[in-house]
Amino acid sequence: MSTMTLYVDKKSFIHHVAPLTKLLYVMVSIAITYIIPKLEFVLFVTLTSLLILAIGKVFRKILPILALSILLIISIIIVQGFFHPENQTVLYSIGFITFYKEGLTFAALLTLRVLNMIMSFGILILTTKHDELVEDLIKKGMSPKIGYVLLSVLQLIPQMRATMGKITDAQRSRGMETEGNLLVRVKAFFPLIVPVVLNSLHNTRERAIALEVRGFNTKMKKTFLNLSKEYQYTKTIQSILWAILIVTIAWRILS
Amino acid sequence: MSIIQVEGLKYKYPDTDQLALDDISFEVKQGEFIGLIGRNTAGKSTLCFALSGLVPHFFNGGYGGKVFVNGLEVRQHEVGDIAAHVGLVFENPFSQMTASKYTVFEEIAFGLENMGVERNEMITRMDESLDLLDITSIKDKHPFDLSGGQMQRVAIASVIAMKPKILILDEPTSQLDPQGSEEVFKVVENLTKEGITIIMAEHKIDKLAEYADKVALIDHGKLIDFDTPAKVFSRDDLPDYGITAPTATRIGKALGIKDSKTDLFPVTIKAISREIGDKL
Amino acid sequence: MSKKSMWTLKLSTAAIALIPAAIGINYLGKLFAGLLKLPLWLDSIGTVLASMLAGPIIGALSGIINNVIFGLTVDPISTVYAITSGAIGLVVGVMAYKGWLKSIKTAIVIGLVVGLVAAVVSTPLNIIFWGGQTGNVWGDAFYAFLVSNNFPVWLASFGDSIVVDVPDKVATVIVSYLIFRGLPKNFISIFRGSDKIEEL
Repeated sequence: MSTMTLYVDKKSFIHHVAPLTKLLYVMVSIAITYIIPKLEFVLFVTLTSLLILAIGKVFRKILPILALSILLIISIIIVQGFFHPENQTVLYSIGFITFYKEGLTFAALLTLRVLNMIMSFGILILTTKHDELVEDLIKKGMSPKIGYVLLSVLQLIPQMRATMGKITDAQRSRGMETEGNLLVRVKAFFPLIVPVVLNSLHNTRERAIALEVRGFNTKMKKTFLNLSKEYQYTKTIQSILWAILIVTIAWRILS
Repeated sequence: MSIIQVEGLKYKYPDTDQLALDDISFEVKQGEFIGLIGRNTAGKSTLCFALSGLVPHFFNGGYGGKVFVNGLEVRQHEVGDIAAHVGLVFENPFSQMTASKYTVFEEIAFGLENMGVERNEMITRMDESLDLLDITSIKDKHPFDLSGGQMQRVAIASVIAMKPKILILDEPTSQLDPQGSEEVFKVVENLTKEGITIIMAEHKIDKLAEYADKVALIDHGKLIDFDTPAKVFSRDDLPDYGITAPTATRIGKALGIKDSKTDLFPVTIKAISREIGDKL
Repeated sequence: MSKKSMWTLKLSTAAIALIPAAIGINYLGKLFAGLLKLPLWLDSIGTVLASMLAGPIIGALSGIINNVIFGLTVDPISTVYAITSGAIGLVVGVMAYKGWLKSIKTAIVIGLVVGLVAAVVSTPLNIIFWGGQTGNVWGDAFYAFLVSNNFPVWLASFGDSIVVDVPDKVATVIVSYLIFRGLPKNFISIFRGSDKIEEL
């Protein structure tokens, strides 16, 4: 059974930190890079996230995720480097291309923020099981229905991807053309998507019935089969994170 | 007292004019096994929904008459509350998996978690259900990795763990291969021994004839007949309702062999063999 | 259509179960568009359909959760646009409820409004997070062109988003409308969640 997950099953200190603590780290580390727009500071935060990934033994797993954003990062460097409105100081020129100091500094800041955003998310998603994160969120007061939705998406998408393969094959064998000019390809879109939609709406109706008869809609207080795991240093780490956030906000206001 | 009481039940789906259930009345005693027969659009599924509260609460539409299950009037209670008294299992095993759990064991816990059953009690009940449905060996598998027959048994176990007095099975074997169907029928037989009242809509007439205490024949939303299998299956007009009588009944009719106890045609292979054996 | 308010927070189980399906349809729409090398994303058909079927709240939830899930499983960057996706669901749901789902023409109007709203919501996000770009080659080229011609950053960024969003959203709404129109009626009624039961 394939489920959508980036979780890497390893033994590390980070794997034993509570999911909600890691979630808090994601939020705090992203927030402070925007609260304090100083290159050195943002670099420091980014390196911290990198270090945590390394401690969690998942550093190499972050690379493909970072690669997804390479286009955005290149675009930031080029566009800001060339066209930033405050560009004045010429850093260097290659032929007709001129990079400006202001633009590149800004681009560096933006790039580091993006890198930190992805890496801090990486800490959460590479070292945390989905169901543990969701159950912890429900215990903290998130609606169990939203929790259900989050978990079921992760299981249903691989199922739907499997149906997609079947539908594509079936339509091709009926002579549908998937190559050719734009009009041909646009026309091919409908016979592919319509069966997917009908099939999933049909299943939705039935699954809703199955959920109803299993008490999905009762107002009773939910219990849990899985016991909460014991996590390490939850209070300490969370207090430190909150303190960091408050200090950076204070710094921003006072300076 | 009857565990199910239906009085003048009428129902129509939203945006339709025709009644899906038309003035249906009947009663079921605790522990009885009721077979529900009729053609595909006769209203069998709708009746199953009406007994579990999905009609009218889930589907809306027009509703009249009264349905009592284990003393609760369905119209006045939410589906979630009725779920503790009536379990429902239907055709498609795949869509009955919640798609939110990673093992069969967790899947079965879903309903109990929602009902707020205390954890130790939950585990006891789940172990019982696993045992009853003979699926203990697959309890750590992912629900989507199972065969259709196994998935359907997990669906039944999930519902049984909620300890309903009544179990409704709406064509539970129609999407299964012969082996899967056989697995399901076997566990249903186990359940009847537990004293659970069972309502089962099913096209496999021979199987129904074997287990049912009574058979309800439905057509165009009306209850045509509600009687013992022997009486219902002896009717000459069964083909008018899209029903073929059980093999034993047809053989009995062809050979003129009647069940000596009831003076009706036999409905099971066992009964007809006995009659033939007696004659020889 | 039911008389019940479109803003009700008592969501039916069917409507809740629609959200994962909507997100799956979003995903497959994107895959099919990629498979056919269409010049559009078409990755919000499910969100738009969910809004048409079950109203703005379910639509908005589908959009938001869609991006959160992709943030958690594929690309963290997409989480930023959860707000945009939510807004798309909201707008389609409200306009569908107000009777804008009558014909292809009115569907195009919905598509234009959705594209515009998506651009309006995305612009501040793009400026805050990446200095105004979208990471889309055409949009960013347009952005560079506007900025180098001394347009303010916010306007250039808005232009960038418009170029990216409007054509995609118009196409998405048209596709969704065509699918919606062809759905059997009994599919639709359970998602509406009207509380009314008629006495017979």
